[in-house]
Amino acid sequence: MPRARTLLLALALVLAACQGAETTTTTGGSDTTPATTAADGTTTTTAAPVAEGIIIALATEPSTLDGQLVNDRSSRVVTNNIVEGLLFRDQSGEIVPYLAETYEAIADDRWQFTLRQDVTFHNGEAFNADAVVFSIMRIIADDYETQKTSYIEGLVGAEAVDEYTVDIITDGISPVVPAQMTSIPIVPPEAGADAGYGDNPVGTGPYQFVSWDRGQQITLEAYDGYWGEAPAIQSFSIRFIPDAQTSLAALQAGEIDMVLDLLPEQADLVPVFVSTPGPEFSYIQLNTYKEFLADPLVRQALNYAVDKETLAATIYEGHARPNDAQHLSASMLGYNESVDAFPYDPELAMQMLTDAGYPEGFTMELHVPIGRFLKGNETAEFVAAQLGEVGVIVEIVLTEFSVHREVTRIPGPDPASVDSRYGWNSNEWFDAARYSGFFSCEGGSSKICIDEIDALHEEASSTNDAETRDQLYQQIWAILHENPLSIYLLQQNLLYGLSDRLQWEPRVDDEVLVASMSLTG
Amino acid sequence: MKQSPSTSMGRFVIGRLRDGAVVLILVVLVIFVLAFVVGNPVEYYAPPDATQEDIDRLNRILGFDRPFHIQFVDYFGGLIQGDFGESLFQRRPAIKPIMEALPATILLSLTGIALAGVLGSIGGVLAGVRPGTLFDRVSNFISVALVSVPNFWLGLVLIVIFAVQLRILPTSGFFDNQGIILPTLTLGLVHGGRIFLIVRSVTFEETTKPYVMVAESKGLPFSYVVGRHVLRNAGLTIATTVGWEYVRMMGGTAFAIEFVFAWPGVGNLMIDSAHRQDFPVLQAGVILTGVFVVTANIVVDLGSRVLDRRLQPV
Repeated sequence: MPRARTLLLALALVLAACQGAETTTTTGGSDTTPATTAADGTTTTTAAPVAEGIIIALATEPSTLDGQLVNDRSSRVVTNNIVEGLLFRDQSGEIVPYLAETYEAIADDRWQFTLRQDVTFHNGEAFNADAVVFSIMRIIADDYETQKTSYIEGLVGAEAVDEYTVDIITDGISPVVPAQMTSIPIVPPEAGADAGYGDNPVGTGPYQFVSWDRGQQITLEAYDGYWGEAPAIQSFSIRFIPDAQTSLAALQAGEIDMVLDLLPEQADLVPVFVSTPGPEFSYIQLNTYKEFLADPLVRQALNYAVDKETLAATIYEGHARPNDAQHLSASMLGYNESVDAFPYDPELAMQMLTDAGYPEGFTMELHVPIGRFLKGNETAEFVAAQLGEVGVIVEIVLTEFSVHREVTRIPGPDPASVDSRYGWNSNEWFDAARYSGFFSCEGGSSKICIDEIDALHEEASSTNDAETRDQLYQQIWAILHENPLSIYLLQQNLLYGLSDRLQWEPRVDDEVLVASMSLTG
Repeated sequence: MKQSPSTSMGRFVIGRLRDGAVVLILVVLVIFVLAFVVGNPVEYYAPPDATQEDIDRLNRILGFDRPFHIQFVDYFGGLIQGDFGESLFQRRPAIKPIMEALPATILLSLTGIALAGVLGSIGGVLAGVRPGTLFDRVSNFISVALVSVPNFWLGLVLIVIFAVQLRILPTSGFFDNQGIILPTLTLGLVHGGRIFLIVRSVTFEETTKPYVMVAESKGLPFSYVVGRHVLRNAGLTIATTVGWEYVRMMGGTAFAIEFVFAWPGVGNLMIDSAHRQDFPVLQAGVILTGVFVVTANIVVDLGSRVLDRRLQPV
């Protein structure tokens, strides 16, 4: 219908013109500092002005506000402003005292924490050793089914020593307890025992819960009795806007102050754009039990065959970088700085495949979960095309996330297990031990078995000395460079859109803490 | 044998109710099969490093380890007692979030169909009685355009114009009365366009009928003929068309529009639940929507029978 098409075209032009007038392009930023730009914004009256609070847009609504129960992004954005852990990660990722002032391992199965005495819960309950014991027992209870399984791994209980001293008891030596304590929220015993806690959360944090308007927004306000520095922003709302185009429009219209998980192609359209490397590492895990993937030479060849630089520059529009052939970045324990990303060298890759006895290449299935990771399908297509160049034919198997998980969990030696799969690793411990499931022979997600690695991991697990552990895990990544467990792809950036007036430094761990934000003007 | 009209109407209603029940049972079966095929939601909800034992335990707790037919019979038995199961995501009865979201959906659909009905029927009649005029050509062109563009795209265009550029209306949400304007406008335009096209052609057809010419040749003014005869005859089709458009809106358009405008309604909730594989909520939403559409169909049919004496047996 030609007339309809003309109108469509006209409307599209109007749309394009409108957008062009509003925005400016982003100037470049370095790797570590966030790239920011302000629009030259001629200020007009805002449709929905906010007095002293801000509004953050989230694509999905949390299921519950019980910070001990769930660990998904949308819940954490709310709960991490309400509840706190015994320890905290500072801006550089370092673990620092928080609700606990000091901590040490006093026995192989025991870490002792001395608590602050000036902390109160929002509902007036006392913060003391009993509250910590209650919180630990609550989250590790069998029938509680917490999603934070990695944070309770190895914990068996807690005991109050005196009013402000508490022991955390572990199943043998557990060097990751401090990392775990950054993310186990301390909840008050009375409110925490209530079945309705998830609808009415209480914590010790800078903000207290005000209301949850289902389907619309959650509102929090500053807690007057907060033990730390009082936050600059008095209140904030988290608004649920499922459509990425709509949340972009709301930011452009000045209705909201922050959009999480911006798409790379939206970078030029927001008033202020922030892109910062996150703790997320993408990879294609290779099943070393498959005959054609058994030779480390073949797996090295596959690493050489993929142009990570171009992948980051095109599909992610520069908001990612090749990771250093390890699922870690410089601030994490076990990071080996002498291990680098495999350079792109298809000729070498072909030579190595020939040397390994595969001059004609082979056919490999690649399992990819639909819509689970940003640009996951595009990345898989890219990798498939690149491997095709060196003779390896990749058959992409796209499935729903639940189906994907079911098939990829089959242990490596099982004939039914997958050849390879695409995924992102999130290192919320900032510690290489987080990946033992991937690289140790018996690990739940492992498709590799190298005795030397198991020995090193075992040694690292039997000491609490960070220096020793760091050295041991560095050795593991050196081995995993020669004998790769995956095609190491990218360290993914976190992308945020901010309003002109919001001041905020993104954190390396991707947490959105409103207490660290302020408004200009 | 001659039946009284009321008995026949009763039979008609019973027949339609029976058909509706069959449709609903099919809907329940289809949505249940689809959910079963898409994948096991436990895999989605279990923590990232869950072991096979964890998965097995959760499957046992939630009953997903049972054979398909047992699960279905169990679910169907619950449905008959009004039990839609438990939301996997929210850990509360699946019907609760649906009931919370329902008022917003009903409100938006009513304002949307009201605007569509007014725009479409008034415009359609005006264009239909004077075909070929500038008004007719322009409004016809706009309507064709409106039914041709994707509805969510139209919503985004309206957001960019009224919220981002002019800044006179909010982009999304339902925080004050202004929030309903843009989604209503979108629904009104999309469905109004379709109503316009049908009403226009019906009106036009009616004005070409011989009785109109006869009435005019008697010396009656054209406007009188239209008001007295044409509208009366076209009115039935107009009413039915608006009814159908409402059913069509509740069967899809309203949901896409809810998503675009972050409207806290059932459609938004169902899309969210599909993404999260929260099948109990999705199933409850689909089944209740099915009940609504089937009921609305019966009401529309019944309405046209009552209005149109030709459809009633003598």
